[in-house]
Amino acid sequence: MCVGLSAKVVSVKGDVALVDSSGARREVSAALLDDLEPGEFVMVHAGAAIARITSDDITESEDLAKEYLS
Amino acid sequence: MNEAATILKSYEGPKIRIMEVCGTHTHEIFKLGIRQILSPDIELISGPGCPVCVTSADYIDEACWLAREKGCVITTFGDLVKVPGIKSSMIKERGQGADINVVYSPQDAVLAAGKDPDREYVFLSVGFETTTPSDVIAVKYAKEKGIKNFSILTANKTMPRAYEVLADSTDCYLYPGHVHAITGTADCKAMLAKGTSGVIAGFTGPELLTALAVAVKKCQEGEPFLVNCYPRVVKDEGSPAAMRLVNEFMEPCDALWRGIGVIPMSGMKLRDEFSEFDARVKFAIPDMKEEYKTPCRCGEVLQGKIKPFECPMFGKACIPDHPVGACMVSDEGACSAYYMYGGLTGNGR
Amino acid sequence: MEDKITLSHGSGGHKTSELIADIFKKNLDNEYFTADDAAVMPAPDGKIAMSTDGFIVSPWKFPGGNIGKLSVCGTVNDIACMGARPLYLTCSYVIEEGFAVSDLEEIAKAMGETARKAGVKIVAGDTKVAGKGQVDGLFITTAGVGVIENEVNLSGAFAKPGDSIIVTGDIGRHGCAILLARDEYGIEADVTSDCAPLAEPALAVVSKIPATHVIRDATRGGVGTVLYEICDASDVGIEIVSDDIPVDPAVRGVTGLLGLEPLYLACEGRLVIIVPSEFEDKTIEILSGFEETSGAKVIGRVTDEHKGKVVMKTSIGGMTFLPPPGKELLPRIC
Repeated sequence: MCVGLSAKVVSVKGDVALVDSSGARREVSAALLDDLEPGEFVMVHAGAAIARITSDDITESEDLAKEYLS
Repeated sequence: MNEAATILKSYEGPKIRIMEVCGTHTHEIFKLGIRQILSPDIELISGPGCPVCVTSADYIDEACWLAREKGCVITTFGDLVKVPGIKSSMIKERGQGADINVVYSPQDAVLAAGKDPDREYVFLSVGFETTTPSDVIAVKYAKEKGIKNFSILTANKTMPRAYEVLADSTDCYLYPGHVHAITGTADCKAMLAKGTSGVIAGFTGPELLTALAVAVKKCQEGEPFLVNCYPRVVKDEGSPAAMRLVNEFMEPCDALWRGIGVIPMSGMKLRDEFSEFDARVKFAIPDMKEEYKTPCRCGEVLQGKIKPFECPMFGKACIPDHPVGACMVSDEGACSAYYMYGGLTGNGR
Repeated sequence: MEDKITLSHGSGGHKTSELIADIFKKNLDNEYFTADDAAVMPAPDGKIAMSTDGFIVSPWKFPGGNIGKLSVCGTVNDIACMGARPLYLTCSYVIEEGFAVSDLEEIAKAMGETARKAGVKIVAGDTKVAGKGQVDGLFITTAGVGVIENEVNLSGAFAKPGDSIIVTGDIGRHGCAILLARDEYGIEADVTSDCAPLAEPALAVVSKIPATHVIRDATRGGVGTVLYEICDASDVGIEIVSDDIPVDPAVRGVTGLLGLEPLYLACEGRLVIIVPSEFEDKTIEILSGFEETSGAKVIGRVTDEHKGKVVMKTSIGGMTFLPPPGKELLPRIC
C-alpha cells in the first residue's frame, strides 16, 4: 500500500527535511521522527519521512538468513 | 538471497498459503517475478492492502460531487484519479472541466490552498497507517497557518481489524513493512497471541525473498510465529510521534471496504474539534451510499478466496483501461497486477 | 521591433515580413531558404523518405534544449530511422499573441543551430499568430525529406527471433527533465533532456551494417512503447534484462519518488536498434564513436515466445511482463 523510497537527509530545518535519493531532492516533513540529523537515511512516503533506516537490504537479508535459514 | 530462493524453489510439503496485505508487496512480487520461482506448494494470496481498491465507490462520488456541485479544487494522489465511482469518476469530471490536481503529498495540497485563498481545496485523504500521518500533518499546518479553504475527505483505514477478519484465509501474513514502521509490532504480536503467524517484510528483491523463505521455514516448524524481517525500518515501538499526531487529530470509526463490507472501527476520521477541516461536515455532503452492483467477484479476490482469473469479468469486460471492479483499478490492485504481470506460466501463477 | 508578438505579426503584411527577416531568415538562412511560395531544390538521386511531426511542449524551454531544437531533432530522427539522410525541412509556427519576441528568437536560434549540426536545411516556413489563450505559447510543426543513400530495408515489422536489441543511451531523460521543469511535484534533480539529432550515428550503423532490421526513435511513449510496437508489427516477443537497461541515477531517484516506470518516460534523442546478434558488438562499437550515442547498450533480444509481449528478466532472476503502454503517467503512493 505504501511506496517508500530510501533517501539521505541533506538538511533539517524545524519540521522540514531536505532529502536526496540518488540525486533527486525534495523537501519532506520531518515531524514524524524526533531529532533527525543530516546524514541519516530515512524512508520517505507521501511527502513525509516515516522511519529511520538503520541498515541496507542486502546486509539485513544476510543477517536474517544466518539466523533463520541455515 | 540465493539461500532464500533455493528454499522457495525446492519446498515440498503441505500447501502453505501466505497472504500479502500490502498492494506494494503485490506489485513488487509481480514486478520481480517472484511467483515464477516459487514451488507449486507455496501459494501467495493478494489480500486487501491497496487503499485505492478498498476505497468504497460512494467515496469517489462524494469527491466528484464536491468538484461538480461545489466547485472545489480536488487534490489527490495519482492512484485515485481513474477509480470508478457509482455515478462518475474523477477522470470524467476532469474532462468536463472540474479541477482535479494530482499532488505528491497532502502538504503540497495545503500549500496550494494557501496560495489560492479564493477557492476551496479538498484533499482526498485515503491510505493506511503509513499515509494517515501525512494527511494529518497537512491539517495541522492548515490549522496553524489559518488556512480556511482547505479540508480533507477522509477514507483512511487501519489494518488490525482486517487482519482479524481475514486470518482464516491464510497460514501466514506477509505484514506490510511501512504500516508497521508507523505502528510498530504490537498489532502483529496481538495476532500471534491469537495463533496467527506472520513475517514483517520490506519491499526489495532480497527483502521479499528472505521474508518469504523465513515464513516457509517457520511454517514447517509448525508453531505460530512472528519474525520481523524488516528491522532496518520497523522498530518494535514504531513511530510514537506519528501515532501521537494521528490520535490528536483523528479517532477510529467504522469503515466500508470495497468488496468486503463494513469492518467496525477499521477507519479513521477527524475528531469533532477539527470538523472545520472535514469536507463532509464543511460542505454537508449528502449521503451517497448506494448498493454497488457488479458481477465482479472483487470481494472474494480481496479475501483470497478466488484468484483474479477465476472471476468471470477478468480480462474480458474488466481490464485496466476500463476497470469494472475495484481490484482492476490501481496498478497494484490484485486483478490489475495479475492482468499486467501474470499469465507467464499460463495459469496466472 | 516590439517586445511581444501581436496579431499583426501574423497578418501577412509588413510586420510579418519584418518578423521573417529579423528572426527566421537571420537564424535559419541557407541557399534554399525562400520567401517565395515554395522552395526549389535539386532532387536527390534514389528514393526519398518524408515525415512530419507537431511539437507542443510545456514549458517551451527545459534543461538541454527548447521546442526549436526539439522540432528539428524529432523530424530529423524520424527520417534517419528509415536509413535516410535528412536534407530539407519546413517549419510552421503557431504563436500565441503576447509571446515574447526575444523568446521566439531564442527558439529560432536553437532551430538553426540544430539544423546545421544535423546537416539539414530549413527551406520554407510559415507563421500564424493565434489569439491569447488559443495556444499555449507556441506550437511548431516540421516536415522533412531525406534521401536513402544505402540499400537498406528498415521497418518495425522486420525484427526476427534471435536479434539483439540496443538502446543508444540512458532512457527517459527528456520526459524526466520536462516533468522537473513543470515543477508540479516539488522535486529537484540535475537531469538534462537527451534531445539530440541522431542522423549521423543512425546512418553510420546502416551503412556499415546493411543487415540492420529495425531503427526506431523512442519519443513520447518511451522505450517501452516502442518495444511493444515492434512486438506487434513483427509478430515476435521481446525479452529485456532489467539490470541492463541504462537509467541515469537521478532519473531513477525521481521515478522512485513518484512511482513511475522509466521505460515509459519520453526520450528525444534515443534510438532502439535491432540487428542480427552477430552484429551486436559492431553496432555498439559504431555507436560508441558518436557523442550522442556513446552510452549505447544491448538490453535484450527478440524471441519467438510470448508473441506480442515484452518480458523482463528481473534482478532476482525471475521473469515478469512489462506492463503494456498507454496509461497516463500519474505518480502513485501505493
